Amino acid sequence: MSARVFRTRSEEETIAAGEQMARALPPGAVVLLIGELGAGKTTLAKGIVKGLGAADPDEVSSPTFTLVHEYGAGPKVYHVDLYRIEDAREAEALGLDELLSGRAIVLVEWGDRFPQLWPPERIEIRLRELEDGSREISCRGGGT
Amino acid sequence: MRILGIETSCDETAAAVVDDGVHVRSSVVASQLATHGKYGGVVPELASREHVRAIVPVVRAALEEAQSDYADLTAVAATSGPGLVGSLLVGLTFAKAISFARRRPFIGVNHIEGHIYAVVLEAKQRGEIIELPALALVVSGGHTHLFEVTPGFRYRLLGKTRDDAAGEAYDKVAKLLGFGYPGGPVIDRLAAHGNPDAVRFTLARMKGNPLDFSFSGLKTAVLRWTRERDLTSEIEARRQLLRRNPRPSLEDWLAVTPQTTLDLLASFQRTVIEELLRRAAAAAEQVHARALIVSGGVACNSGLRAAARQLALPYPVYFPSPQLSTDNAAMIAAAAFPKLERGEFDALTLPATARLRLA
Repeated sequence: MSARVFRTRSEEETIAAGEQMARALPPGAVVLLIGELGAGKTTLAKGIVKGLGAADPDEVSSPTFTLVHEYGAGPKVYHVDLYRIEDAREAEALGLDELLSGRAIVLVEWGDRFPQLWPPERIEIRLRELEDGSREISCRGGGT
Repeated sequence: MRILGIETSCDETAAAVVDDGVHVRSSVVASQLATHGKYGGVVPELASREHVRAIVPVVRAALEEAQSDYADLTAVAATSGPGLVGSLLVGLTFAKAISFARRRPFIGVNHIEGHIYAVVLEAKQRGEIIELPALALVVSGGHTHLFEVTPGFRYRLLGKTRDDAAGEAYDKVAKLLGFGYPGGPVIDRLAAHGNPDAVRFTLARMKGNPLDFSFSGLKTAVLRWTRERDLTSEIEARRQLLRRNPRPSLEDWLAVTPQTTLDLLASFQRTVIEELLRRAAAAAEQVHARALIVSGGVACNSGLRAAARQLALPYPVYFPSPQLSTDNAAMIAAAAFPKLERGEFDALTLPATARLRLA
């Protein structure tokens, strides 16, 4: 996946952008979703999960409290949230090794918190809310 | 009939001994909140190894307090989901081991059904019977669900959050404004000192199931509100307060929270409560519910309780006591009791299921 920038103006458009991004994801991809509170990380995750055919967007909710959500049976998607995690050891205690070892796609909200945990070929998606309420979503990485 | 219940689905390690699904002989919760302060107030206890450390003393304490022994148990119950698999496995495996060693039946319980049974348990204690069908609103840091509860305690999911859980919105707003973790109790106490009509949040109308919740937009609206103002100094004052004193009093908080922020908190709380109760009441009407059950950690919220009373709904509204609102094992033992009566036992191969559904 080469560097790309999306600009979305609604939740629906963010979901559609996620669907589009999903098509470029190779099996086992690790995708860090990086952005402030309210930037649209969970919404984008809905789109990616939908694009991968793992679940309906309405099924995808924030894993902040529950830490890890799992979607799909064929191509599995893990949806991880590090918001509540304070140090890398705690993150490892979530069983990340196991999540990262297979062919499942791993989406990580607040993934920038512990960069050392992720493989170098990870994909980084940065989200940011602009003045007018639209979202700028840029992705890079994936071995390029 | 005596059940030992064990709960380790998320942050708390809990064990309880309950007789006949009604008499709570003991209910022990190893809350790690004290540990959180040390890390700046936000750390949940997630590692399964913390459950491993706590499970033996917690179960032992529950049995001692109940003046009971493994030999007195009729059955052993544990939460099998939903939750973190690593955490669930600790309680589940411990319960299975007791079941195997002591030849007692083993019963797996859905955590969300446990929350509903917290209310059933306390109604039984008062000699009340909750009339069915009922509508259950289970609302906590991890869940915001509406279920129809039909006779025989069968469940139908009517609505759920599409993004953040209600308790999560509280925690995130609290953290954003420097109030620490958990956010619910602080905001609830301070909201009483603000004007709930001061800030009008316009929430986007949702497509899809009208009984689904969404709290993400409200969180973003609060974030925008704070960005439009310079709150740096008051937020810093609150963080300093938390560093000095991990458990500030209401007066301490009021001293570092200007009226505009109190008004914001009151308006936020009012919006959350309205969202919850509007959809719960609509769902109750839709299924002709004869009772409304509110359970889960957010059921502690005094604003929610007061608002539910004020609505004067045409059916009784049940809330659990605060200690049974948040995660505990008495509710797990209570939910296991009807299964014990029916002889519905689980095999020791029952897996921990992260996304276990109730309906």
